[in-house]
Parts: sequence; C-alpha cells; structure tokens
Amino acid sequence: MIMEDFKYIGKSVPRIDAADKASGKIKYMSDLNFPGMLFGKILRAKYPHALIKKIDTSQAKALPGVVAVVTWEDVPGLNGFGIVTPDQPVLCKDKVRYIGDAVAAIAAETKELAEKALTLIDVEYEPLPVVDDPIKAIQSDSPKVHDDGNIHLHTKVVRGDVRKAFEEADLVIEHIYCTGEQEHAFLEIETGIARIEEDDILTIYAGSQYPQRDQMQLSRCLALNPCKIRVVSYPVGGAFGGKDELTIQPILGLLVLKTKRPVKMVMTREESVISYWKRHPMIMKYKTGVKKDGTLVANKVIIYADTGAYASLGGPVVNLAIEHACGPYKLSNVDIEGYCIYTNNGVSGAFRGFGVPETAFAIETQMDIIAEKLGINPIELRKKNALQKGDIAPVGNKLTTSVGTVAVLDGISKTKLWKEREKYLVKNTKKPWIKRGFGFALTYQGTGLGVGLPDYGGAILRFCENGGFEVGVGLVDYGQGIGTSYAQIAAEMMKCPIDKIKVVLGDTALTADSGPTSASRGLYLGGKATIIAAEKMMTVLKEKTSEMLKVSVDNLDAENGYICMKNQPEKKISYEEIAAQFMKETDHLPETEGYFLMPLADMKVENAFGLPHHIFAFSAHLALVEVNTLTGQTKVLKGAEVIDAGDVINRQGLEAQSEGGFVMGMGYGLFENMIIEKGIFKTTNFSTYIIPSAEDIPSDIETVTVTDPEETGPYRAKGVAETVMCATAPAITNAIYNAVGLRIFKLPATSELVYTLLEKKEEKCNESTN
Amino acid sequence: MKALNYLRADTIDSALQYLDEFKQDIRIIAGGTDLVVRLKQDMVKENNILDISRIKELNGIFRENGTIHVLPLTTHTDILESEVIDKYAFILREACATIGSPQIRNRGTLGGNIVNASPAGDSISALFVQTAKLKLKSINGERVVSIEEFFTGPGKTILKPNELLVDIFMPELEENETGFFKKLGQRDALAISVLNVAVKMRRRGAGTNTFDRAVVAFGAVAPTVVRGRRVENAIISSSLDSSKQIHYIARLAFREVSPISDIRASLKYRQDMSINLLYEGLLDLRANDWKRKT
Repeated sequence: MIMEDFKYIGKSVPRIDAADKASGKIKYMSDLNFPGMLFGKILRAKYPHALIKKIDTSQAKALPGVVAVVTWEDVPGLNGFGIVTPDQPVLCKDKVRYIGDAVAAIAAETKELAEKALTLIDVEYEPLPVVDDPIKAIQSDSPKVHDDGNIHLHTKVVRGDVRKAFEEADLVIEHIYCTGEQEHAFLEIETGIARIEEDDILTIYAGSQYPQRDQMQLSRCLALNPCKIRVVSYPVGGAFGGKDELTIQPILGLLVLKTKRPVKMVMTREESVISYWKRHPMIMKYKTGVKKDGTLVANKVIIYADTGAYASLGGPVVNLAIEHACGPYKLSNVDIEGYCIYTNNGVSGAFRGFGVPETAFAIETQMDIIAEKLGINPIELRKKNALQKGDIAPVGNKLTTSVGTVAVLDGISKTKLWKEREKYLVKNTKKPWIKRGFGFALTYQGTGLGVGLPDYGGAILRFCENGGFEVGVGLVDYGQGIGTSYAQIAAEMMKCPIDKIKVVLGDTALTADSGPTSASRGLYLGGKATIIAAEKMMTVLKEKTSEMLKVSVDNLDAENGYICMKNQPEKKISYEEIAAQFMKETDHLPETEGYFLMPLADMKVENAFGLPHHIFAFSAHLALVEVNTLTGQTKVLKGAEVIDAGDVINRQGLEAQSEGGFVMGMGYGLFENMIIEKGIFKTTNFSTYIIPSAEDIPSDIETVTVTDPEETGPYRAKGVAETVMCATAPAITNAIYNAVGLRIFKLPATSELVYTLLEKKEEKCNESTN
Repeated sequence: MKALNYLRADTIDSALQYLDEFKQDIRIIAGGTDLVVRLKQDMVKENNILDISRIKELNGIFRENGTIHVLPLTTHTDILESEVIDKYAFILREACATIGSPQIRNRGTLGGNIVNASPAGDSISALFVQTAKLKLKSINGERVVSIEEFFTGPGKTILKPNELLVDIFMPELEENETGFFKKLGQRDALAISVLNVAVKMRRRGAGTNTFDRAVVAFGAVAPTVVRGRRVENAIISSSLDSSKQIHYIARLAFREVSPISDIRASLKYRQDMSINLLYEGLLDLRANDWKRKT
C-alpha cells in the first residue's frame, strides 16, 4: 500500500471534536444537571491508618435537607473494588488505610448542606502506626496495611547466568534510582452525575477509560444485574490512566439507589489529589555489566514500587516495569525482581507509561554512564545493543513484529536539534554560570495487555439514513484523538467523506466492548475492529446494490459515497439511496460488528502475569537544557522526539501527542514532586504541586517519525500514547549531566536538588584538590 | 464556602463608613485573587465582604512633583502597561511582571498585594527599595507610613480595622539610579516566590563601579519582607569591580535573612539563594554597564 493512495489515512486531519471543545459546546459531566438532583459528598478518613471503632451518622441524618447518609452497611453487594484484586472498600468498615479512604457519603439538597452534614458524622478511630516507607514495609516486623502482609506482588524473572556474566564483564555500573509520585493532573477532576432512567436502569455519567468494566465492577458492588446499569464514560476531560480504575462511581451509584433521585458529585482538586490514583514512586537498584566494546552482558535489577493502600493495577505496573527494565536492548543474562508494596501513602495505580518512565530513567542513565566510561558514542552504544526483529527480548520472547530501535536511533540525526546542537551549545561568556547541555534517551512501550489477559477490540458500525455511518467503540477519546482516527479509518474504508462519519465512544448502551483505553492499545485494537466492521458493512452495501442494479457483487466498487459498476463508473447508487432502499424494505438500517483479537507473543513469562508483550512502539527523546549553577534551575530550551509509530494515521494528532508527552515527561523529570509526610499529602493543589506552565515548556518540540510499519496494525500503525512521554525525563537528566557534569539519580530534578548536588560536587572537588 | 454579606462602596467615604460600622467583622475585596482562594478554603472569619473595586478615586497612576502615585486599585497589568512606571518605577514594574499569570495580573491589585502582607508578596520587595510610602485613611483622619513599618508579621500589618489604604507613592527613580527585581520560583509562571530580591543603587558617575546609595530588600526569607542594610552598606563602601568582590558583598545576604523550611524549599536553599540571586542580579547589571534590564 502506498500512503498517497489514501484520502484520510496518514494525513493531518483536524480533530473531529476540536470545534465543539474549543467553543464549549461539548458538555462534560460537570456541565450536566438533572431536575431534582441532589449533591453528593464523601467523608474521607481522618488518619492515614486507623481502626474504625464506631460510625455515628444520626446527627447528619437529622439535618434537614440531608436525604441520605450511607456507610459500609448500605453497600448491597461486595464492599470492594479493584481491577485485579477488589481490595478497596467502597466505604470502609473497620479500617482506613489511607487519608483518602471513603468512610461515609451524603446526598443532600445542596452542596453546602452536604458539606455541613459531613462535619456531623462522628467516627471514632484508633490510630495505627503509619507505614510510609516501602523498604521498611516489607520487613517482617512492619505494621501491616492488609492482613496478608505488605507485599502485594513479588515477581522475579531470571534468564541466563547473571553471576557468571558479571564476572566476565569489563565494567559493572551500580546505582540506585528513585522516582517520584506523579499526579495525572487532568483538567477535569473526577466528576459524575447519575440517575435512574427508563426501564429502571441506573445510568452513571462519569468520565472513565473503560465503561464496560466499570459496569461489571459496579454490578458487583451494587448487587445489580449489569444490564440494569448503563455507564457513559465519554466525554472525559483527560485521564492518563487516572480514570482506568473506578473513582467516584460506586458511591454515586449507591446514593442514587438509596435516594431514587439524581445525584451529582464533583471533586475538588484537593480531594482528588488525596483520594485517587498516582504514578508509583519507585526505588530501583540497577547493576549492569558490559564488555569493553560496549556489549551489554548482564543486568540485575530490583524494583520496589509503592502502591499505597490498595492494589488496583499495582501488580501489572510492576510487571511491565520488569519487562521494560532493560530498555530495548539485547541482554541474555538478566535477574529482574520487583516488589509491589502496600503502604499508607495514598493510592498508586495506572499512569501513562505504566512502569516504563521509571525504568527508562534508570536504564537510560546507566547507558549514558556506560557510554562515557567506555568512551563510546552514546548512540553507537545503543545501536550496538539494540533489539532488532528476530532477537530475543530480555524477558525471553522472540520479537517477530516491527522493531524500530535502530530506525529511531538513526532518526536522531534527522532532527533539527541534533543537526544544530553545536550551535546551541556555545559557551555563555557573558553569564558563565549558565551552562547548556544536550542529552537524549531511548525507550519503547508494549502495546496491549500482554499474555494471559484476553485482549480484543470491538466496534459497531451503524448505517445512517443520510448515507453516513456511526462508529461505536467502547474506548474513549480522553485527549489522545482516537475518535478522529476511527473517523479517518471508517471514512477511508467506507469510501465516503469524513464528515459523514459520526463516532460514539464510551457508552455501554451504544458501543462495543473494546477493552480498556490504556496500554497504548486504543488506536490499534479499536482501529482494527473498525476495519473489520467496515469490511462487513461494505459487503452489505454491495449486496444490496447488486440486488438494486441486478449485477454481480464482483462487478461493484465503492467510491466517494457511491457503489458503482467497476467498468461503468457512471452507473452508480449513492449510499443515501441504498439507505432509503433498506428503510423501504425493512424499515431498518443494517449494522455490523467487528471484533479483533490481539496477537500474542510466542511464550509466556512464568510467574509474571501479563508478560511478555508482542508489539512495541519505540521513541528517542532529545533535550537541550540550560542549567543555572547559581540556583540549580534547569530550563529546557528545545525538545525533539523521534518516533516509530508504524505508519502514521493522523500526522497532526501524532505531533500533538508527542508534544504533550514531552511536556508531561518534562514535568515528571524536573518539577512534579508529590510530598507525603507520614501518609499526609502536603502538595494537594497546583500552587504546591508544580506542573510545567506554558512559560516553562520549550518553544520548539520537534516530531520526526521513522516508519517501521507494523503489518498487523490498522493501516500498519502502532500506538504511541505512552512511549512519547517515557524517556523525556532521562533525556533531560542526561542533558543536565552534559551541561554541568552532574548525574541525577532521583526524580524530579528540582532546582533545589540540582543546586544541592552541585554544591556537594564542588565540595568533593575541593576535597580532592586539597 | 460559607454565606457572606456582600457590601459595595463606590466612594472612599462610603467605604470608610462601612469599615467603621462593621469594625472587626468586615473584609475588603478588591481584585479577589487572594481572598477568593481563602474563602474557598474557609479561611475567612469575617462575615461581611466590602467590595471596593468600583471606587474610581482609588484607581490610577500619576506623577506629581517628582513623586509617583500608584493608587491601590491599580492592577499589575495597569502597572505593566504604564509608561510612567516604566520610566520612573521600573523596579516595581519588573516585580509585577513576575506575579502569577496574565489572568491574575489583570485582576490582582497593588493595594491588595500590599495589604495581603505575604512575606512572598512580589511587589512589596520592589516597593521597599523604591522607598514607597502608604497613606492610610479612616473616618477619624489619615496618616502616612513608610512601606517598611507597615508590616508586622506574615499577613499582619499596622492597618487598623477601620482604615483603608488610599495611596501608594514613591520618589521617581533618578537618571543615575539603577536596580532590579529578581524572583526564584518553582516554575516560570504562576509561582509563589521561593524567594525574591530587589535592589536599587545610585551610581556615583558613568564609568565608575561605585554607588552612593543602595537599598536592598529580600522577600520570602523572613516573617516580612526585610531590608538588607549590611549589603547596602557594603555596596556603598566599596567598588563593585570584580565578580569576586560582588560575590563577597552578596554573601552578606545570609546575615539579613531568617528563612524557614516549607514545601517549596528548605531553609538552607533559601539562605544560599538569597546570596546567589543577589549575586546573579548584580552580575547581570554590571554586564549591562549598570543599566537597567531592557
């Protein structure tokens, strides 16, 4: 296939939702109001770790205007949720395990009354020692967050003979890396409104990443037949993994069932920060062995991940970190171990990258150190070890799909930033305390859920009276632009103008279950399912046309909204006419469904659920920084990403992804520092939790694509939503090293951290010269 | 957020009447950029809110006999757009440019920034070095105080419950006066100062590195913005010829400040940065032949 043959695929297509979003026409869940609606509020824990001795709601219930006060006693089904292990109570019964734990909830006539009623609930606690250090938490004498102990999951993957390999290595590099707890910081805070609709269906309008799984979890908590629950999870104002797990939905549903009235719940930023998901803080011990010529021979890694009070997706995050711990490099002797540890430090869960930004920081710093110590060009070092198609990945699977490692590394030299870096790196003679540096890092990210989990995409295609089509996919567009890509794919497949395609997302009543919007899988799986549904629809249209024209289906072709004769293109019937014919004959328009099963790797990694993955996207991240040695401030002047996305579906969509990913990675690398002391959050809003502002981001973030087509993908594309943020932080910290000779082993590299390290380094220098 | 009694005054006199009537139980709102946040956090104990934002007599910038008046309802954006300020009070201008974001600068007022009395209030350090004076008025009369004596602690001032800040004025910067405002935040916009420093110096003459007058102030490193008199004396009594000499002087800053550790920065970092920010600012100025930043 040649890209030029396409009308929409591979082109820059404006987002189909852009105008409505920019003009405010789209109604987010917080914009919805229903008559007779109540306001819901949640009582959070008073302590990060405590036993509940008594809950007295009588005073709150007695307050006029309060319609319902619910506690654990009111949960009709399982008082627990969690994607893998439902260990988080909807409402806590006898114990709270973090400061955001929900203890009771209120529905009242006004928000103010609901707030007032919260203060009238009397909960008696017996505070317990706070478990706040993941390393101490796994010692046998640590207080326990859960009865079974504080290790939620321990995975160990061993291949080859690490001990022997280290003996044979010419150089062994050992360091400990620490990464911070990142907040998703989506614009739309967890918000929802719910009511009982026609046929007694509890309808929950709350932005999330997987409506069908929300429905399943809600059914279990509320003891309700899933067909009596409808979840509408789109539109959603950002998610980044933070709305993969349930948030407010079970309590919202509970309050509606209790009051039989619509209930609305809007979190504040502060409540959102203390209550919901974050990126796992990790401590990673790395020991990497290498030969003089740069060949990597062994990697031993231990990862300690703080999952906070409940499991959610902590286990899979740790396993994905393990799979990607060695970077996209050939390593046949590995010993990689990961602990997912319960503490009272909030809750960690899914977040863009899912363990990869953490390990990418570690391995890419290791690689930079090795390159310098061995005097090898850092690109050449990576190329020398780069995984290629046909190679065995570190955890043991053979790579048979597209592998863009070398293509991406070669692509670095195509960026403007690389070509002009010498010019930018000139010394600042006027301000010698300002130093510039260039750095880069390489990363990759598996697509999909991995081995062991059913992984599929689903799409419904509905033929419409105007001769257009409605695509219904259960995934959501939370900013990455998949809705537009589905429209491109459907228009291309159905040979019709893109404005004839309507995309419906994230609704259990109207869309096909397509799995979670996560794991860089939305475009790949939803796209493939759309293609299959469209192929079926095309057959349906051609069959109808063959009846109408009384010609064989084989003689028919489709073009620009018409089915026409292959040899006589002027003999044609418009889709609108075909639709009319269907209506005339059956009073009904056809719909087709497409399902696609994710191809899986050739093996599974024992005792490592979900590993390995089969399809990977690759990217290199470049950064030019300026470090002020007087203050420790790092300014990123320019950024670039080289991305292997397979064939690109939407050029401008990809560029936006790349820029957004770079900025998010930059926040992770330099600014975002969630401070939790003894289980209490100290940085609960954006005045203290610092995300980059428009003033902080580089004026120029370049996107260069290198194409390593993925034959199994929709139009040979791969998903890149995560890889685009995964190696920005190490690119920046490697650039800091280039600028001031300082290795960063802890993220974020705040001004104070860089300054303090520079000062220590100077002291050391002075010591050694004395 | 609790329910509040909203009052509005359209003249100074009517505002003073309200203030006198409600005494301790009234809070003034102008731009609201600080107060509304506090209201949301339920940190306002008063039950009456007096809106003074429409008092025309309290808005404007003008020169009079070598003095610049910036009336309290002047927004930071007004200050940034004023040619008079740019020419005669540019240190204040540099400070206001670092405040918040365009949205906050459009609403936030100079008077509000002063009365809010945050030790990290960016305009305050600049007003310190521009030796501003404040006129406070009540139904009983008025008094003029220097900006330095106005603050007594974090969020605390000598302003009496029935008094209103009605004028902020300062001498025009002279031809041979130079200076700067520098801020260190956790990011480049929408940042509360980790610390800030403002400097004004009068050069003895072109071609010299000596100064006969110097005023230095530090923000966010003490319970109030503080003057750096040791640094000032050192500047006046030496010649700022080399970066070594400038560093020597800047190091005196650590004697001027008494910072604390909080979520934004540690005590030690703030202490060191009061030196380094001053040092960097002076070096920048010297590199520009002691002319103001353009």
